[in-house]
Amino acid sequence: MTLSDQNNFGLQCQGVSHWFGETKVLFDLNLNVHAGQFVSLIGPSGCGKSTLLRAILGTHPPLRGEILTLQNGRLDNADRPGRDRGIVYQKYSLYPFLTALDNVALGLKFDQTTTAFRCLNWAGWKKKRRIFRDRAAAFLDKVGLGKAMHLYPSQMSGGMQQRVAIAQALIMEPEIILLDEPFGALDEATREELQEMLLQFYEENKKAIAEGKKPPYTLIIVTHELNEAIRVGDRLVGLSQYWDWKADGHQRSPGATVVYDKPAPVFRSDERPDYELFADIRWEIRQVVYNPEVLQQRDEHVKLIPTS
Amino acid sequence: MIRRPITRSWAVVLGCLSVLLLLAGYTLVSHRQHQVNPDDTTIPSWSQLSDGVIKFTRLDRKNERWIVEDSVATGRRLFFGLGLGVFFGFAIGMMMGCVTPIEAFLQPPISLLAKVPQTAALAVYFVFFGTGMEMYVAMIAFGIIPALAVTVHLAIKDLPSEMLDKAYTLGASHFEVATEVVFKQVLPKFIDAVRLAIGPAIVFLIAAEMVVGEVGFGYRIRLQFKLTNMNVVYPYLVMLAFFGFALDYGLRFLQAKLCPWYQRDSK
Repeated sequence: MTLSDQNNFGLQCQGVSHWFGETKVLFDLNLNVHAGQFVSLIGPSGCGKSTLLRAILGTHPPLRGEILTLQNGRLDNADRPGRDRGIVYQKYSLYPFLTALDNVALGLKFDQTTTAFRCLNWAGWKKKRRIFRDRAAAFLDKVGLGKAMHLYPSQMSGGMQQRVAIAQALIMEPEIILLDEPFGALDEATREELQEMLLQFYEENKKAIAEGKKPPYTLIIVTHELNEAIRVGDRLVGLSQYWDWKADGHQRSPGATVVYDKPAPVFRSDERPDYELFADIRWEIRQVVYNPEVLQQRDEHVKLIPTS
Repeated sequence: MIRRPITRSWAVVLGCLSVLLLLAGYTLVSHRQHQVNPDDTTIPSWSQLSDGVIKFTRLDRKNERWIVEDSVATGRRLFFGLGLGVFFGFAIGMMMGCVTPIEAFLQPPISLLAKVPQTAALAVYFVFFGTGMEMYVAMIAFGIIPALAVTVHLAIKDLPSEMLDKAYTLGASHFEVATEVVFKQVLPKFIDAVRLAIGPAIVFLIAAEMVVGEVGFGYRIRLQFKLTNMNVVYPYLVMLAFFGFALDYGLRFLQAKLCPWYQRDSK
């Protein structure tokens, strides 16, 4: 594999299996995510979406298999949380003691200065802090929170909080950003606004690719809302324990694996999709991923996407 | 209706009224006691009380004012005892919350020590530290360290692990997670714990001063009580109350200044 190929991967999961005692959760899961992709991860409850996410994040590494991310220019084991991966939770993403501005600027501060520098070179730190805050303010402007920068999280609505949380993760431009049901607690209208915001970032990716640059944002979004998955993602990945493992010679269910992996239609951020048109995609996903009665070969619906 | 809000001025009026009632009640009880026994000193009249105040504010035979020497002695003991206790209580709690081996190592003794009544352990401090300044400082410090350490430790354990993992994904070092995330989150709760610890600290100090003190609030109260000079004892109690109140207010002010987000949160 050449270096440029390597750089094109935000994430590689190879043969990832995980279990808790007798309970098998993930089985031989392979998932490669290219830089600039927006992957929607879907699956029935209990299929191990959170387990996979925590494994990628590095807080709970898998018992078997490898998860590699680009760290300092080369693919390396992601066995602890690091700068190369970002995370947005449904809650607890923001620090309650920091304003929106400082929450977004926090990563720049951690990443680009050290405690010793901040204590010993006070003038230098003040200068840097102004630069970080200016960048954070510009980013907050971009996500439509220019007026709310000096609010604390407790003073913001749920939708605003998630905007700040996404800004906090995205400003770092990590190799991959994990969003764990980020809009799960929001009402429908707010959800759609935030989906539009994510699509704006996807457009930045497309622009970067057109200019021959590396796309800045790569993300995996976990959602239980199929329409959201179809709208936000450019690739749909279904994780499920319902596949024909007997044909693979297993006596008992070995756990969930990727049973669906196909490109998703791409939308502009100002485009309100007609969800009626995706009835067949939804039907297919419901059969392949969600239906315990329908068991198919694990790779029957895995159509690998050519690299963009 | 339960918890119906009232206007600010009405609240002030009601608050003043209760204090006035207390004072009027005292005057009445004192007056009736003096009708029975005109020389009574257990419930001194207002004029007796002012005699008491004069007694402890004027120069005595040793050319000292009681109020000054008592305040200096008690204040110094409390200051150093609290200072040391707050510092080590916080440090131990932070280490227990952040480093699991230290947590496992310190948890049994700390949770046991937290249950020892300090006033009962006075004898131990006399044996180890004598009856000087060191004894008072050690007793106050050791008395509040377990409670403060436990509070900080539990507050850190309450932090959602997401917040710590998140900091690592933003490029924080272990030290930065401890100082920039854990410390700042725990600070307001710690200040609350210190506010609560001041009460016990004063109890320990006054008790020790009553037993072995040669100067200080506890010593003066015990001595004047033996002479049934309640006209000195009561003003001393009032001063202790005001002192504790002022300290508490100062800490609340500090909390509002250092952690503006915390006040907003609790509203």
